[in-house]
Amino acid sequence: MKKTELSKYGILCILFTCILFAQLSLAQVETKPIINATLQGVVVDEETQQPIEGVTIQLEAVTHSVKTDEKGRFQFVTGQKLPFTLLLSYVGYEPQRIVINTSPALIKLKRSSEDLDEVVVVGYTTVEKKNLIGSIEKVPLKEVSSIPTGSFDAQLQGKVAGMQVATNTGVPGEALNIRLRGATSINANNNPLYVIDGVFVNSESLQTINSGGKATSPIADLNPSDIEFVEVLKDAEATALYGSRGANGVILITTKRGKNGQSTKVDVNLYSGRAKAAKLWDLTTGEEHALLVNEYNRNIGRPEPFTAVTEGGRGLPSEQQTYDRLSEAFRTAGVHNADIALYGGSDNTAYYLSSGYNKQESILRPISFDRSSFRFNLDQKVNDKIKVGSSNSISRTGRNQGRAGDGPQGGILQAALHTPTYLSPYNEQGVLVGRAGFDNLTLLLDNYDVGSVSLRYIGNLYGEYQLSPSWRFRSTFSVDYNQYDEHEYWNNLLIAGSPDGLATSAIGQATTWINEQTLTYRKKIAGVHTLGLLVGNTLQGSTFSLTSATGRGFATNDFTLISAAANSTSTQDWDKYKLASFFGRVDYAFDDRYLIDFSLRADGSSKFNKGYQWGYFPAVGVAWRLNKEGFLQDLSFINDLKIRSSYGITGNQNGINSFASRQLWSGVNTAYQGLPGIIPEQLANQQLSWEKTAQFNIGLDAALLKNRLSFALNYYYKYTKDGLLTEVLPGTTGFGEYLNNSAEISNKGFELTLNTVNIQNQDFSWSTSLNVARNVNNIEKLAKPMNFGSRDLILFQEGSPMYSFWVYNQLYVDAATGDAVYEDVNGDGQITTDDRQILGSIWPDYFGGLSNNFTYKRFDLQTFLTFSVGNEVYNHNRFFGEAGGARDAARIIFASNLDRWQQPGDITDVPRSDGVNNNNYKDGGGRWLEDGSYLRFRTLSLGYNVGSKVLDRLSISRLRIYAQATNLFTWTKYSGLDPESAANGSPNQQGIDLGTPPQPRSFQLGINLTL
Amino acid sequence: MIRHYFLYIIVLLASSSCSSFLEVDPKDSISGEDVIHDQASAQAALNGAYVALRDYYSVNFQSIAYLSGDNVEWTGSQSQIQEFINHRVNPENSTIAATWNGIYQSVNRANNIIKVLSENDQLGIAENERALILGQAYAIRALSYFDLLRVWGGVPLITEPTARVGENAGVARSSSDETYALILQDLSAAEELLPQATNRFTFTKKTVWALKARFYLYREDWTQAIAFANRLLTDADYELLNPYYSFFKNNVTGTRESVFELYYNANELNPHRGQWQPQTNGGTRQWAPNAALVSLLTTPATGGARSELIARDNQNRWYGNLYYRSPASDPTYIVRIAELYLIRAEASAHTQNFDQAVADLNKVRARALLTPKPTSQNQAEILRAVEDERRLEFAFEAHRWFDLVRTKRAQDVLGISESFRILLPIPYSQILADPVLDQNPGYSF
Repeated sequence: MKKTELSKYGILCILFTCILFAQLSLAQVETKPIINATLQGVVVDEETQQPIEGVTIQLEAVTHSVKTDEKGRFQFVTGQKLPFTLLLSYVGYEPQRIVINTSPALIKLKRSSEDLDEVVVVGYTTVEKKNLIGSIEKVPLKEVSSIPTGSFDAQLQGKVAGMQVATNTGVPGEALNIRLRGATSINANNNPLYVIDGVFVNSESLQTINSGGKATSPIADLNPSDIEFVEVLKDAEATALYGSRGANGVILITTKRGKNGQSTKVDVNLYSGRAKAAKLWDLTTGEEHALLVNEYNRNIGRPEPFTAVTEGGRGLPSEQQTYDRLSEAFRTAGVHNADIALYGGSDNTAYYLSSGYNKQESILRPISFDRSSFRFNLDQKVNDKIKVGSSNSISRTGRNQGRAGDGPQGGILQAALHTPTYLSPYNEQGVLVGRAGFDNLTLLLDNYDVGSVSLRYIGNLYGEYQLSPSWRFRSTFSVDYNQYDEHEYWNNLLIAGSPDGLATSAIGQATTWINEQTLTYRKKIAGVHTLGLLVGNTLQGSTFSLTSATGRGFATNDFTLISAAANSTSTQDWDKYKLASFFGRVDYAFDDRYLIDFSLRADGSSKFNKGYQWGYFPAVGVAWRLNKEGFLQDLSFINDLKIRSSYGITGNQNGINSFASRQLWSGVNTAYQGLPGIIPEQLANQQLSWEKTAQFNIGLDAALLKNRLSFALNYYYKYTKDGLLTEVLPGTTGFGEYLNNSAEISNKGFELTLNTVNIQNQDFSWSTSLNVARNVNNIEKLAKPMNFGSRDLILFQEGSPMYSFWVYNQLYVDAATGDAVYEDVNGDGQITTDDRQILGSIWPDYFGGLSNNFTYKRFDLQTFLTFSVGNEVYNHNRFFGEAGGARDAARIIFASNLDRWQQPGDITDVPRSDGVNNNNYKDGGGRWLEDGSYLRFRTLSLGYNVGSKVLDRLSISRLRIYAQATNLFTWTKYSGLDPESAANGSPNQQGIDLGTPPQPRSFQLGINLTL
Repeated sequence: MIRHYFLYIIVLLASSSCSSFLEVDPKDSISGEDVIHDQASAQAALNGAYVALRDYYSVNFQSIAYLSGDNVEWTGSQSQIQEFINHRVNPENSTIAATWNGIYQSVNRANNIIKVLSENDQLGIAENERALILGQAYAIRALSYFDLLRVWGGVPLITEPTARVGENAGVARSSSDETYALILQDLSAAEELLPQATNRFTFTKKTVWALKARFYLYREDWTQAIAFANRLLTDADYELLNPYYSFFKNNVTGTRESVFELYYNANELNPHRGQWQPQTNGGTRQWAPNAALVSLLTTPATGGARSELIARDNQNRWYGNLYYRSPASDPTYIVRIAELYLIRAEASAHTQNFDQAVADLNKVRARALLTPKPTSQNQAEILRAVEDERRLEFAFEAHRWFDLVRTKRAQDVLGISESFRILLPIPYSQILADPVLDQNPGYSF
């Protein structure tokens, strides 16, 4: 039952569709209204007097309803006579019951100032925001979608309390780290689950080409302009229905859709801008470099190399030139975006059609990112009971990639930053040459040819059947398909391609299909009891395949395909796993006052052995809406007050190998003497199973002063058990490691979200939104400490947070000798590895965002700041650039090295220059561990809405012109370019800044146009 | 109507809960035991064992051997490798950990073959084929333990394959004598099983004799060392090529000079080369000949034809040029016939057969286009001449450090003040993983 499983399943689905349509003929019962009287009217916003489109107007006691058109107009043809009683409803406005005596009528709707009636998508169903029990935050993406980044998740930075977005790099479309309420796993994945319109999408890079610890983001395949809003599910009540996928939180993305009864509209968004590094590294001049090298040699009693050429030296320091490579590598980059969307709907059909193009250059040549995307969303009512629909997104993401991380070959920043400034790019013959073991920058930039194209389809097809007013059945089939085509070609002018060219081509394909059924029931009984039920199941299969080929030995640099290579090798990789899940949920509310729900999900994963496959993930949540109580009803300044709490368990198996529990022998195609071989690759762990995270949450939601002040406060405690951990096996076994369930990790913290409307009058409004969060991460159980990162800079050990920095604590530089003095932790009188200690981690004490929105007449102004306080960054660039003169011609020297100790009495923290790998210039020296706190002026945006007189003349319904600055300033003590910069070689290596271009400062002009 | 849907759901649940939905088997690996079950799978497993040998002989083990000696300097930025040159190797050093794991991986792969083939004659493998595969597995294990011993002294002796977690852990270190005993036992088993053939890329009886000659040299059993060296030195299939560089120049492999070398070709690339070649040739030149060696090799009286071992790049920096091929198919030389001449020379000097010693030494010198050493009756002088000769003859092969340790000359020659540093520390990660391992004396943990 391998292949047949899917086809059998497919037959079932077809069967289901057949049943659906068989019922269709029975269900169609229509009543024609008797044409007798006509009622016409216009619905406008009470404050702005602007017409409102899409308001549902229903005659009381009659099922028939109409919707207003784009001018707010509606018309009724009915058998009744005046006066009419009308029921009006529209999202964001208070519903109204009104008696109409005249036709045409002018009806004013009042805005519901806080969106309590707003509907929120929770696991597989929706609830009104006021009745939410879980901790869920909804972010309209509109506010941030014009920030020039590749993926929408980077735009969310600072928008959601408790969601830490580490951007890592200034390269658009590269992977970032998102940590929702901390990190729970060492060897499984810590990324949240991304669900786009119900499709569980892959968020792990398919990149296989080594770009020096950088990976592309698969989330960048999605056009942010297509997103209506994003919901972030944080506590167990909210995530438990996602069971095995929910431990790191869930990000639900709802894309834009047309609305029934909405006239066709066209949205156009355009922007264009320029991005530039706010600052670059400050390097020594050729002369300063030479002086430092001479000083180093004097200090260790060796002859100075920079002496007169006539004496056999390299020339006096004053004779050295300074070659500026950074200006050649960095540029003012262009960022451009254009997207257009067409949407609307008739009574039975709603559609959304869009197309977008985004192109962003990186400030570091020659890296660039572009994305062309297309979306088609459709909802069709077949009749009163049956609705079918589809969401489809196709995108092509192209990238010119560059190795900006570590590794000597092809490293752009190695060539640009790490090459000493005094060395000419030309040799004596006037030929461009690489220096210090790195590529020649000019040759590198001119010949760089590394790139990828990602083709992505994400879509689903659903059918919904309203069995009765209370019962609804829904079935969905979703697909996430990604073809990822990479190539690299290194010609013989580059180190990697020497002596006769090297090319790699790799094509990966990741496919996930999910079938999902849900049956929901919701009924209000006797006016005060609301009961909801949900049962459902999903089946999921994910397959990954990779074929790659490498060729060496090209005739000339003009031939770049592997077919022209003298030697070629190829590999193939294949991986597959399946998940079967069943879930249910019961929720009950008494008088919208006491709320309780219980949910349970069971997940079976093919990654584990029989007996260990199934995991059960329950959750319970309760809430009490205090404002519904009599004793608070008189307090008119309280509009809403809710206490809620939840407890539940979620799981994780993501990111581990699909066959991690088995004993494996793998084949080696070119083992020995051209013959194939087999090798024992992995030891079995029969008992391998789910990592489980229990989470407790307690929170308070309040809306006060006519909803002008609202806040949400959460405290949570998460404890992860059976954590998936790669445990070291004694080498004597012949194996390095195996995967086991043994780590335990806790995260606890609080989150505060505060929204205020400070001023609101006819011409001027000012609102503020602040969120701040703190997470304390701790490794509760870890059998043996584990090191990660270059020079073992990261240490995981019991009792300390994950991603802790393990360094020697430099106390001071002895003013008499110029030697660095380190803390002798074990007091044995010498500085050995025993004296390395944990001095901080990547975790901030608190972090968040602050936005202020102002409107004055037709102008709008937004300011948005993000901050992080108390986190550390290891400035690995300085480790290389502050080695005194000891690295001589092998590395750059940073200007900060000029502060070194030179003579007795000098007070400085840069020791005497006397070598590398010795006391003063230790691997793992704490001197380069810096405070990474920052306050970033993320965006400043000023917009102008063109007046309606002009618009009417142009037949435009809305036109906004804006100017925006992104990353305008960053206040930080960090001495590097960007406190968020990090080489991201492995998930457990974070916060090490090496060879990474900073996030640029950018300016852009744009328009938002609606026709 | 509603009943239809429930029926559908029930059918669906029934079909999906069927546990076979959750059965997915890997394609690029095979799962389970009894993987070695016939001649083809045994041969494939043997090829896999050679891969392990080749892996640890590619960079890590060589780093220890080269950089701990006095020929090669490190130009990379990582201090953990510089530790070998400074002779202050920390237990946390990642190269020693990788080497330890790599060699035991080779041991485990050999153990898998030895276990199945020595215990099971039901596999339908012809006896001569079985002996051929089993003999090579013993030889691979012998060489692996020999290399472990050379770096660390006595080590845990693992002779059974690891089938599941928990096995082959918690085994304490054996003494170096016990380790030597297992090596000899494995060499003898291989000697018995393998045919007396000439194959320069896989183990034969002759390869095992060469290893035995080396073994007895380390054990200072001079008579046996001479006896086993003689077996190859009298074999017409092996000879010193003239001049020196004929054994590696012009892309040759498997020359008559070679007793045993690890095979590479255009599809099986040797990462070794990248460490030596300069950037202009696509390498990193992280291993580079140091000034002393350059001086010895470029001085005609000491370098002779061996000056071809080094070359200069476009920035006038010297680089090692023994591993130079493109694509990187350079063999890793394990035993060359020159070594057997020098083994016999050294052993003869110890057994007072000074004429033989000088004669053998001069054979090696002659093809390096060097003037012969005059006959001498001074044992110390001859031994020093052999030592110096070995330094240059095997300048970029894994000998110098082990030679100096073996002859107890390392402290004098390399200026190591602390005697315990002659043995490298057991990797800290291994002591953490298996607390039963005792650290070598003198190291912090």
